[in-house]
Order: sequence, then structure tokens, then C-alpha cells
Amino acid sequence: MRKYAFGTALIAVPLLIALAGPLVAGEPGPRAVSFTAGGGHWLGTDFTGRDVWRQVLLGGRSVVLVAIAATVLAYALALPLALAAALTGRAWWEEVLLRPLDVLIAVPSLLLVLLVATALEPGPGGLALLVGVAAVPDVARVVHAAAVEAAARPVVEALRLHGESWWRIAFDQVTRTIRRTVAADAGTRLVGALYLVATAAFLGVGVQPDAADWAVMVDRNRPGLFLQPWAVVVPALLVAGLSTGTNLLFDAALHRAGGKEVRR
Amino acid sequence: MTEPELVRVDRLGVAVGGRTLVDGVSLRVRPGRVTALVGPSGSGKTTTALALLGVYPDGARVTGTVTGGMPGTGRPGAPGPGAVRVGHVPQHPATVLNPARRVGVLLRDLARVHGGGPEAVRRALKDAELTDVEGVLSRYPHQLSGGQQQRVVLAQALLTGARVIVADEPTTGQDPGTAARVAALFGRLVARGTGLLLLSHDLRTVRELADEVVVLEAGRTVRTGPPADVLPAAEEPAPSAPSRSGRPEPGPVRLSVTGLTARHPGGAAVLHDVGLTLRAGECLALVGRSGSGKTTLGRCLAGLHPRHDGSVRLDGEPLPRSVRRRGRRGLSAVQYVFQDARSTFADHRPVLDQVARAAVRLRGRSPSEAADEARTLLAALGLDPAKASRPPAGLSGGELQRAALARALVVDPAVLVCDEITSGLDTDTRTAILARLAERRDRTGLALLFISHDLAAVGALADAVVTMAEGRLVTGPPARATECQTPGLTSPA
Repeated sequence: MRKYAFGTALIAVPLLIALAGPLVAGEPGPRAVSFTAGGGHWLGTDFTGRDVWRQVLLGGRSVVLVAIAATVLAYALALPLALAAALTGRAWWEEVLLRPLDVLIAVPSLLLVLLVATALEPGPGGLALLVGVAAVPDVARVVHAAAVEAAARPVVEALRLHGESWWRIAFDQVTRTIRRTVAADAGTRLVGALYLVATAAFLGVGVQPDAADWAVMVDRNRPGLFLQPWAVVVPALLVAGLSTGTNLLFDAALHRAGGKEVRR
Repeated sequence: MTEPELVRVDRLGVAVGGRTLVDGVSLRVRPGRVTALVGPSGSGKTTTALALLGVYPDGARVTGTVTGGMPGTGRPGAPGPGAVRVGHVPQHPATVLNPARRVGVLLRDLARVHGGGPEAVRRALKDAELTDVEGVLSRYPHQLSGGQQQRVVLAQALLTGARVIVADEPTTGQDPGTAARVAALFGRLVARGTGLLLLSHDLRTVRELADEVVVLEAGRTVRTGPPADVLPAAEEPAPSAPSRSGRPEPGPVRLSVTGLTARHPGGAAVLHDVGLTLRAGECLALVGRSGSGKTTLGRCLAGLHPRHDGSVRLDGEPLPRSVRRRGRRGLSAVQYVFQDARSTFADHRPVLDQVARAAVRLRGRSPSEAADEARTLLAALGLDPAKASRPPAGLSGGELQRAALARALVVDPAVLVCDEITSGLDTDTRTAILARLAERRDRTGLALLFISHDLAAVGALADAVVTMAEGRLVTGPPARATECQTPGLTSPA
């Protein structure tokens, strides 16, 4: 259990603040001067003179939920697609499945998000959908590359020879073989999703540019970094704790699952 | 026995989770001498040998002492006072070579760590008797043959200044000529003063090399002494061939292959215009050197190598080239047993479940019926079903090989392709498996294609022998095979 302790501690704080923060934030106080420290604001004030601590309490829920939903969605779409391509064994079918994604990869995801969001003005749900779909080509490529190797192993040949179903080969065997790669990738995707949402917000898309949102806070409070660092440092630390902690927990869980493979 | 000892193991006991792997084993390794560990698969040979390297299974409780071996759990660094460096040549040498680096770089790095230069590398390669040195140094490990990988690993061990070498099944799965060359190599190494701990099923090699033999059974020492005293008489008879008389006549043609030409992805042909027929109740042995295309032929028949032309017919009906397009009936009709059994089992499920699963999928059995059938079959092949309830990591290579055979037989195939299934098995197990296959063949009319280097097994089971050379079938047994079946040259597995 000790190996889970560090990872749990790292994600506990951001998760707790994200989920319970809005309940304890209370009413907004009067605005103060931008980027000041003290004066009853123990983390100072932000670029519009609001209390940073209150913004931190309010700003987690949207980021965390949108980023997690987007990452889950990206995998829900990309994993079956990549596995289907890796397991088909027919080159033309692999092309049909993956080639269109390569076209999407050529379009920067920020541009994609901006274009669609400007046209449709989505809410948080729509933004999660958009960010998730934008990540599909990247995720599919990584999963496909790992799965092609895993699908060529003798154990998969043996399963085919014994008439095993596609589902079980794909999800029980191949996905299990590549789970470390997938877990590592998922950790970076989560961070990527967080900052894609933030960048879009910075350009006025998706989240309001002055919204209480950790990622937006990091972006918008940067000009005052040397006057009042907490408005940037605290939300950045919370985001970093969330992603690092997630990665550590994945690693710890996978390490135990794989521990028996080491010795024969 | 007055020579100094390099390593001594006293009353070693290793237990994992209440299960005893090794129980009170003692042995000595002396300079210029060979100590052999023999015994059935799963008897604790590898666990004992790894103790010399200071490596134990995860969570093992260790009793007894190892004096002179490597310190602690595989920690790198200089051995402690009075200790010597121990090198390891595992059964599958590729597993210890870094696949991402060229052999030359691997060896030079190792030499630098141990304070040697290019001349140390050259000396180690010369001692390991590696030919085509320049070619080997510029390649990646996966581009080398199994024999070359073995010698590179040996050279690595020598570079680290190892005075004791642990060799795990160095001659397993090789044709008799190659096995003899490997044995001679180790013989010369020992003559220069190295101590060798040899783990082997190959009693011929053990007899030839060993000064002292420790026979293990279920983790305990059952006999110790010079080979002549503890091993069975020099030439154990090959498992007696069930004569054709008294056996049912071969049935109708089951499998017919014509004009089979197979290619590698690059386009190079590996099989040229191969043709053969296999009748029900017949066993055809396929022999030939490594790399001659035997395995590719077996994989073509099983649908695992779809890049081929020509026709493969089962009972007159063409079989789809790829395993993906063979339905339930096509799959259960032709089964294939892989050479490396461990790599064909998923490591997160009990072996028994994986064996039973084949009957569920291909014969429509319910899970409980399938489990019963699998248990019966495993027991008949000499594998304790309780042991088979563990995941593959809890079974030895030989035990998995039997499980792999059970996994193919449980679907009741019409044609079975066996690729080197007796390598890595001790004599008793091998005899039991061959008897089981012969019984299946005679009772249910199973047609067997038996790919093997093990000429004693071929002699016991096969009705006819064909030889493959450079991707072509040469009808009839090779001159060497006939020679090898004379008593003096029989190769016990």
C-alpha cells in the first residue's frame, strides 16, 4: 500500500479542491487592486482583483471534469479503432481505418477546436467532446503502433488457432499487453487536454476568459507573475499534482500486476 | 576431490508462498570441473542455479548458504571477499541481450566497465569460439542465430571475468551435430580452468562433460556422484517403437499439400514447391537443419503463415490460407503446437483455464465440461492439474510444453503439427508424451506431422521421415538421420 501513498497524496488535494471547493467558496467579496498580496487575501488577488483562494476553490471542477471526460472519450473512440486496424492483418483495411486520421493530425488541434467552437459555441459538454475528438488521431497512432507489435506475438497466434473471439483477443490480450504504453500516454493526454482547454479559453473560446478555472488562471495571471506569483503557482501546482499523481498511481498499479512476470 | 572450491551451496532451501521449490540441495563448483544438475522439468534446477547469481524468486524465503557466489539479489558490482564472478548462459540467450544495441557496442561497453579494451573483447570472442566476428559485431542480437546468441552471451560472461559459468540447457533443441559442437566448446572452456554448472536434460552431453552429477527431484537431491554411478546405463533404449503390426492400417488421405511455395514479407522464398500427403493414423516426421523451413511449413498448414501459394487440402476440401478465415471446423481440424510453449500462454490466466478455453471455443463445450476434459488430459500427459491452476509463471518450461500439447489435443484435431515439442523434456516425460501421441494416433486416427531434431523420438513415433533442406523436401530420411539412429549416436533428449 505504501507505493500508492505518494500518488494518492498528490491527487487527493487537487481532486478534493475541485470537487468540494465550490461548496465552501462562499460569496464573492469586493474587488481589490489587481495582483496585490495581503489585505485579507491570503493568496493575494488576480488580474481582475478577485481573491485567488476563492478562484482556486471554484476553478477546479470545470477543468477536471472537462479534461477527464475528453481523455476518456478520446480513448473510447481511438482504442477500438486502433485495435481493429492492428488486428486486421489486411493492409488495405488498415489504410482505410487509419489514413483519414492522418489528415486530421495535419490540422493543429487548437485550430480545430477554435474553428468548431466559434461556429457552434459549445458548453462544457461540447468542449469536452471537441477536445476528446481532437485527440483521437494521436491516441490512435500510439495505440496502433504498440498494438501491432503485441498482436504479432505467438500468444495471439495461439488464441486465433483456438478460435478465440475478436473481443477477447483485442481487449483481454492485446490491450493488457500494451497497458503500460497506454497508461503513460493517457497521463500526458490528460495534461494536454487541460492546457488545450486553457489555450482555447485564452483566445476567448469555450470557457470565459475570466472564468474561475485553473488552466485559465495560469494563462491570464502570467503578466503578474513577478508581482504576485500565487495566482499562477497554486493552480499550476494543482494541475501538475493531478497529472503526476495520476501517472504515479497508474505505474504503481501496473507494477504490481506485472511483478510476477519478472521471474520464471 | 581436493581441488579448491569456487562456489559451494550448502543445504539450500527456497520457498515461495509456502510452496517449496528447492529443499536442502548442496553442491560444489570447482575450477576446471563440471558439475551437472539433472532432473525432470520443475524439479528446481533453474532455481538452484540462479542462487549462485544471488537471484531468487520474488518473495522467496531462503535457507542454507551459498559461499563464493554473487552477492545479494543480482546487485551489480564486485563480488565480496572470497567470492568469484559467476556468468549465466540462459536457455533462451536472446532474453539477456539488449535488443536495441549492436553486439559490438554491447561487448565494448561491458569490457569498459570491467576495465578491458578492444583486445579483451577479441579474447572473449575467441574463447567463446565465435566465427565471422566482424559480421556478428555489427549486427543486432535478433539478427543472430540461436547458436550465435548463445556464444555472444558466453563472451559477455567471460568479459566480466567470470570464473564460474552457469549454463542452462545449452544443447536443448539443437540437432545432434550442433549439440556436440556446443558440448565441445564448453569442454575446452573448462579445460582452461573455468568451473561449469551445467543444467541439462541432454544426458549424452552430461555424460560427456560432467565430473559430478546432482540429480534433483521435486526440489530434493536424490543422487549425487560421478555420471557413471548416478545416471542410467550409457545408452538407455529409445522408447520402444510400437511396430506397425497390431496397429490399424492408415486410413484415407486427410491432408494433401501440393506446390506449396511460401515467402517472407521481404519477398524471399522460404519454401519451394513442397508437396506431401498425410493419412489418418499416420505419423510423418520432418527433420532437417535449423533454418531449413520446417517451422514455416508447419505454420503454413496451421494457417499462421498466409503468404504462400499452392494448395493445402483437408479431406479433399481446400483449407483457407489464413487462420482468420478458417471457421470453427477448419480450426479444430488442423492444430499446431508451438516450439516455445511459454510464449503462447497469456501470463494473467491460469494455464488450466487457457487449455479448457480451446474446448469451449472450438467444440462448444460448457466451461465446466471443458475444465474436466482439460484436467483429464493434463493428468494423462503427466501434469498435475493442481499445478496447472497456476498462471504460466508458476510452471516450468517442460510443464508448459505439456500444457500446450493438451491445449491442442483438447479440441480433438484431425491433423496435429508438433514443432519440436520434446526439446526441454526429461526422458520419462518425453516417453509418456510420445506414448500418448501414439495412442491418440491409433485410437482416433490422428494424423501427425512431427517436426523434430530428436531422432530417438522420431524413430519411436514416425511411420516415415522426410528431410527438408533449403526449403525443399528431400524424400526419405537423411544419411545423418539414419546414422544417428544406430545405438552409438542416439540422442537422448
